[in-house]
Amino acid sequence: MGDQGLSALLTAHRLSPMAVDEARMLRERHGRLQAEMARQAVDVALLLHAPNVAYSTGVARRSEDVTHAANRRSVAVVEAGASSPRVLVDVWPELDEGVAALADAVGPLAGRRVAVDELTGAMVRAGMLDGATVVEASQVIAPAKLTKTADELACIAEAQRRNEAAMVGTQAMVRPGVRRSEVAGEFLAQLASLDGGSTANLIDPIFEPMPRTIVVGPRTTTGHVAFPTGVGDPVLADGDLVWVDTGIDHCGYASDFGRTWVVGRDPTEAERELFARWCSVMIAVLDEVRPGATGGELCRAASAVEPADRPWLPHFYLVHGLGVESAEMPLLGTDLGPEFDEGLVLAPGMVLVVEPVIWEDGVGGYRAEEIVAVTGDGWCHLGGGHDFTPFGS
Amino acid sequence: MSELRALRRERVFALMKDADLDALVLGRRDSVVYATGARSLWTAGTRPFGAACVLVAATDATHLLSTWDAGVPPEVPFEHLYGVTWNPATMAAALRAISGFADARRIGVDALSPGFQRAAGRLAPDAELVPVDDLLHAVRAVKLPAEVDLIQRATSIAREAVEVAAASGLPAALRLLGERGATVPSSPPVLRTVDGVTHVDIGVIVDGYEGGCGRSFPSSPDEVFGSLVAASVPGATAASVRAAAGEATGWLVRGIGLGFEPPVITPDLGADVVLQEGMTLSVETAASRDIVVLTPDGNRTL
Repeated sequence: MGDQGLSALLTAHRLSPMAVDEARMLRERHGRLQAEMARQAVDVALLLHAPNVAYSTGVARRSEDVTHAANRRSVAVVEAGASSPRVLVDVWPELDEGVAALADAVGPLAGRRVAVDELTGAMVRAGMLDGATVVEASQVIAPAKLTKTADELACIAEAQRRNEAAMVGTQAMVRPGVRRSEVAGEFLAQLASLDGGSTANLIDPIFEPMPRTIVVGPRTTTGHVAFPTGVGDPVLADGDLVWVDTGIDHCGYASDFGRTWVVGRDPTEAERELFARWCSVMIAVLDEVRPGATGGELCRAASAVEPADRPWLPHFYLVHGLGVESAEMPLLGTDLGPEFDEGLVLAPGMVLVVEPVIWEDGVGGYRAEEIVAVTGDGWCHLGGGHDFTPFGS
Repeated sequence: MSELRALRRERVFALMKDADLDALVLGRRDSVVYATGARSLWTAGTRPFGAACVLVAATDATHLLSTWDAGVPPEVPFEHLYGVTWNPATMAAALRAISGFADARRIGVDALSPGFQRAAGRLAPDAELVPVDDLLHAVRAVKLPAEVDLIQRATSIAREAVEVAAASGLPAALRLLGERGATVPSSPPVLRTVDGVTHVDIGVIVDGYEGGCGRSFPSSPDEVFGSLVAASVPGATAASVRAAAGEATGWLVRGIGLGFEPPVITPDLGADVVLQEGMTLSVETAASRDIVVLTPDGNRTL
């Protein structure tokens, strides 16, 4: 039982590293956003949410808590028809006096159709959008960013390669008795060593020792296994199956690394069987990825391999998109339901993070993820190609 | 921690009573932690507003957005959890099922999105949405003793990491933070050397509370910093703090607790601020940063 040829398949489809033209990337994104605003007759987009600001202006996200990110922000103002976006820096939209300055900088909004992603209390108190027709900004941002340009794909691939590189030294320190936070600290140290800090960590790194049966884990609203909880600081024990999940930002784009590791020993035959089944699902899904295929076809391909139980976590998805956000459209296999999946038609430039989970109650679970992009006639693999140690051939 | 949770929760429900709120919908990590003590996975940066937590005055109940009970304190029964969903209809049904939400007249929020405004208009048609982030921050500004202890603990970890970063570099400091269980940054770590002076600033969140420290190596007298710390006392206003800073710019005095909090005083901001005993502040210049708690006769550096 090896990886069923998955590693070779990914290698054959790998996207080669490419120099990113940041000016072109910004220009092309601006064009897409403008086209969407025109289509929906939006006069101005007022964007405060960091990934939306990154998409529209190129101001990259920082590894900071929401309280810092919310208090002192860069804000994007995209006027319909403008040749470039406006970036307002050092805006304090949580403070009444900060909103007064913001309102002055933005200009009158009454009578205009405004796409906005967040309203702080101070913005509401100041009546900043009074008299405007307000629409949810995701209505224009989500369709604009649904398919990625070549530069965007190159950024995602590079983010993933950096994330993978930081994982090599990190996995080496996983041993019985080590705490989750020590492994996470090593990952963050590896990341900082890679490039002097030009990448930003986006999530408290997850190294979660998983229960072997659902019933001994946390109680869930779905009846399935809880992951990722991010709670406590567990000590990794000999033989633990550890689900690994990390994400970083590079040039405004997210990575997403997922693997299952075993602490202190090689996987058992039963654990290898989980991995083999996971590979079969992954290969079956990838086999369906091409322009014109529907999300429903991908979900059915996965379920055909594992007819007894859907091979993904019910509170998440089989597939999620990725870009300036670590999870964005297309989301497939979610509680949006089969009709939504059927209606989602793959197009070149869409990014798919495929993350099946094989769960065998009593044995445990295997979970990992790979990032691919839809091409003109199939798909390409984003990232450097990370091994499945200690599983695989 | 259960006592701290109870005291914070009491303050939040008292605020709801004072502000005549039937329900309070919280979307921000820090507000949810203050009101409930729930732990969840940390992710960087802003998040779109959503109903992460709903408190109901009539039932004294706390409802939480969580697919599991891990990290959920015992005061919130499993039946009051609603799971993560991608489907707006499912979220709407979860909110509709909360006793006291649909017939609420006044619903407090800590922020808003156009989508939530629209949904609330359908789900609680008689309700007025009232931003109460300012009231929440006023309640949170004066810290409970246990909160000061947590800020102090996070700060001592940050301070240790600053020394290690200066001596051995950022990767070594990040490893140390991992050993201390502090893998969540509040602000991006700073390590830069300009003209032979190395500036280090580390901010971390430990058990929900922020600590921080900034130092320059080799250290030299930072008169502006000293003046700012001396001026950060009960009764001080933005004017008095600015007077202490003189002509200097690039400094910041701001609240610290479950992260970055009001009050904020800069050369341009803080018109209505009056500092009070029990507040915890991060006082920073380009060269130095310390955390202080305001005491009856001045302040104490944590």
